[in-house]
Amino acid sequence: MRTPIRILTAGIAAALLVLGTTACASDGGNNDPGTSGGISAITVRGCTPQSELLPTNTNEVCGGNILDATEAKLIHYNADDASPELDIAESIETDDAINWTVKLKPGYMFQDGTEVKAHNFVDAWNWGAYGPNAQMNEYFFEMIEGYEDMQCGDADCKEVPVADSMKGLEVLDDYTFTIRTVAPTSNLTVRLGYTAFAPQPDAFFASEDKLEFAKKPIAAGPFQVTSKTDTEIVIEKFEGYSGKFPGSVDKVTFKIYNDSTAAYQDVVANNLDVTDLIPADYLVADMWKQDLVDSAGAPRWGTKDTGVFQALTFSPAKTDPGMADIRVRQAISMAVDRSQVVDIVFNNARVAATGWTSPVVDGFSENQCTNCVFDPDRAKELLAEAGGYPGPLELWINGDGGHQQWADAVCNQIKNNLELECLVQATPDFATLRNKIKARELKGIMRAGWQMDYPSIENFLTPLYATGASANDSDFSNANFDRLLREAAAATTNDAANLLYQEAERVLDQEMPAMPLWTQQSQYGFSTNIKSIKMTPFSTFDFGSVVLAS
Amino acid sequence: MTETPHTHVEPILGDTPEQVQGKPRSLWGDAWEIMRRRPLFWFAAALLIFFIIMAIVPELFTTKDPRACFLEYSRQPPGPGAVFGYDFQGCDIFARTIHGARASIMVGIFTAGFTAILGSILGTIAAYFGGWVDTVLSRLADMFFAIPLLLGGIIIMYTIPTPPGSNYLLVVFKVVFALSILGWPSIFRLMRSSVLQTKPNDYVQAARALGASPMHVVGSHIVPNSLAPVIVVSTIDLGAYIATEATLSFLGIGLQPPTVSWGIAISNASALGYIRQAPHMLMFPALFLSLAVLSFIMLGEVIRDALDPKLR
Repeated sequence: MRTPIRILTAGIAAALLVLGTTACASDGGNNDPGTSGGISAITVRGCTPQSELLPTNTNEVCGGNILDATEAKLIHYNADDASPELDIAESIETDDAINWTVKLKPGYMFQDGTEVKAHNFVDAWNWGAYGPNAQMNEYFFEMIEGYEDMQCGDADCKEVPVADSMKGLEVLDDYTFTIRTVAPTSNLTVRLGYTAFAPQPDAFFASEDKLEFAKKPIAAGPFQVTSKTDTEIVIEKFEGYSGKFPGSVDKVTFKIYNDSTAAYQDVVANNLDVTDLIPADYLVADMWKQDLVDSAGAPRWGTKDTGVFQALTFSPAKTDPGMADIRVRQAISMAVDRSQVVDIVFNNARVAATGWTSPVVDGFSENQCTNCVFDPDRAKELLAEAGGYPGPLELWINGDGGHQQWADAVCNQIKNNLELECLVQATPDFATLRNKIKARELKGIMRAGWQMDYPSIENFLTPLYATGASANDSDFSNANFDRLLREAAAATTNDAANLLYQEAERVLDQEMPAMPLWTQQSQYGFSTNIKSIKMTPFSTFDFGSVVLAS
Repeated sequence: MTETPHTHVEPILGDTPEQVQGKPRSLWGDAWEIMRRRPLFWFAAALLIFFIIMAIVPELFTTKDPRACFLEYSRQPPGPGAVFGYDFQGCDIFARTIHGARASIMVGIFTAGFTAILGSILGTIAAYFGGWVDTVLSRLADMFFAIPLLLGGIIIMYTIPTPPGSNYLLVVFKVVFALSILGWPSIFRLMRSSVLQTKPNDYVQAARALGASPMHVVGSHIVPNSLAPVIVVSTIDLGAYIATEATLSFLGIGLQPPTVSWGIAISNASALGYIRQAPHMLMFPALFLSLAVLSFIMLGEVIRDALDPKLR
C-alpha cells in the first residue's frame, strides 16, 4: 500500500532529475567522460546508502556497492565465479575447523599511509560485534567464540555486556592472529570475504565520532571515497594500493537515481555510463537489448547469475493441516512450469531452479530437486491420492517488492493444472509479511527470497532449514538433515564439506519443506564510452576490469 | 413578505404555447419534450444503457471467465478467439473489459447516489431551517470542500489499508465511502441555494398558510421543485467519480486485484515498455473507461440544457 506513493514521489523526483541532467548536459556541451584531462572516469547508477559507510553496519546494496570497491578484506571474491582468493591474508590455516591461524601480507597499506596489522582486524571485529554499538552486521561474528558475552542483556542495552572483546580472537604478532570458532566451521575462509570482516585503521578507533569518520572512510581497497553528497558519491583510485586487484579507471562517480527507468534512459542516451538495473517493462520481448546497441550494432548490455534464490515455503502442518501430506506439497511443486514463468514474466532474467542453492556458489549441484520438474499429470494424480487440499490455496507475497506478476502467473498455473482455486494475497510491505510468517499465521504457500551473505552452499541450507534456524519458516526439522549439516561443518576440506551439503540438499527433496522457484540473473547496460565491464555474482561491478572505448 | 421572485418557477406556472393547448405540463414533462428531440440524448442514453447492461449481466457479452488466464497467450495481440487480445497474464482482455464495467460503474452510481442523498438532505435542512443550523452545516461542508477530491481520496485510501482477502463489495464500498465523504459538499451547496430560491415562492407560502406541516411543505413543494440542479450535477459527477476511481486504482490504492476493474487493467498495462510492446493491453480498457465517463457527462449536459430555462 505504501509503494504507489513512493512511486509517485520517485516519479516526480526522477522527472526533476532528468530535467536536471538534461540541463547539465546542454550547458556542458557533451557529457563524454572518457579520458578527459588525462584521467579516465566513468559514471555509474547509484542509490542513497541507508547508513553511513561502515562495513559492519552496511547490509544493503546502495552502500554495499561503494564499500565493495573501497574495502580490502582478508579474502577477495573472484569477479567471475565468486571463488575466494587471498587478498590481505597470506594464509588462513586450520587443522580442526575450529582453531584458525591467519597470517597477513606485510606492507599492505591503508589509505592514510598506515600499515594493515593484525590488531586492525581484531579490534574492528570486536567493535562490530559489541552490542552497544548496535551494528547491523554483528550477527556475522556469532560463530566466533565469546560473541555471546558481547551482547546486551536487553533490547535497550541497559545491561552492558560482560566482555568488550571476543575471547576467540587473539593477536599473536603484528601479522598473525588466531580465530577460535564456537563449532566447527569448515567454510570460515569463504565467510571472511564479506564486507563486515574488513579491517579498520587506527584513525577509526581514535576518532570520537565514528559516523563522522564514516563520511569519508579510510580503507585499504583499490578506491577511496573522495566526496559524498546527496546527489553523487565519488570514489577515486588509491595510488598507494598494495593488493592484487587494482582499479582500471581513475574515478568512478555514483550518481544517485530514485527511478531505474530514468537511469536506464540516461544510459541509452549516453548521459550515464553504467546501470545495474533494467526496468522490468523493458525486459519484455528483449526491448532493452534492442535499445542498448552501439552504432555498429555491438551489444551494450550483459547478464550475470547472482546469488539470489526464490522459493515458496509451505506453511507448517501445525498452522495448515492441509499441507501435512507430502503428496500435496509435491503436487503443487510439480504443477508449476518454472521455465514458462521465467520466460514470459521475467524474460529470462531468472533461471528456473533445479535445487535449493544458487549456481554461483561453491558446492552447487544441478538437478537436486526432482519435484521441481513440471509434470501436470503426475501432480494431479498426487493431489487426488492425497485427498486434495481443503479450500482455496493462498499464495502470500509482500506487495511492495514487485512480486505481483509472477505470483499471479504461478497461481494461475496451479489453478489451471491442479483445478485448485488459488488466491494471491499481498501484505502491504515486507515487514508485515515477515511478521505474519514469524507468528505462523499464514496458511498455504509463502514467498521466501534469500540473498547469499557469502558464496557457500551452506549459506542456503543452514539458516533456512536447520532445526530451529532463524529463517526456518516451515518449522522443518529432520534429524538426518541436521546431522549432515554438522558433519559438513566439521569437514576439514571444502570438497568433503560440499559433498555432505549436497547430500543434505537431497534430504530436502524427499521432505519438500519448500518449493524452489528460480535463481536470479542480473542485467546491466553501459554507454558507448565503455567497451566492456564485468558484473560480479554479488550484482556489483568489478572496476578492475573496465575497458574504456578509445 | 418580500417580493416573490418569478423567474425560477416560470416554466411550471407556464406561459408556454403548449400550455395554451390545455394539457398541463410539469418541469420534467417540458424537459422530456426538449430532450427527446436531441440526437445527443439518444446517443448518450444508448451508450449508458449498454454499459449498465454490461455491468449487470456481463455474461450476455462474453462467455469467457475473466480470471481464466494462460501464460502461454501472454501479450498476444487481437486475433481470432480473442477480439481484444490477451494481457500480460494471458487473460482475455475482452472478457476482463466487459467484467470490469461492474466495479467501475458501481463506484460511480453509488458515489453519485450517496453524495446526492446526503447533500440534498443536509442542504434542505440548512436552507429550510436557516439560523445556526445553516451556519453549522455550511461551515462543516466548507471544511470538507477545502480538501481536493483526488488528494483526499489518496489520503483516505492510504490510511485505511484493505486487509488481504477482503470481500469484493467491501473494497468497492471503501472507495465509494472515500469519494462520498469528499463529494457531498458540492451537492449540499447546490441544494441549499436551490431551496433558498424555492422557499419564498407563493405556493410554498400558501401551503404554509393553510397549515401544512414542515415535513409536508418540504416533501411536496420544496424538494420536487429544487431537485433539478442536483440531478444534473450528480449525473455529470458520476462520470467524474468513475474517472477518479480509475485514477485511485491506477495508483494502486483503489480497487485491488482479484477485483476486475478498468483502473486496475490500465494500471497494469501502462508501463512505458509495455505500451511500446503491447499497446492493445492499455487501449481497450482505456477506451471503455473514456466512453463510459463521456456518456454520463453527455447525458448530464443534455439534462441541464433541457432543465435550464435560460439556455432554451
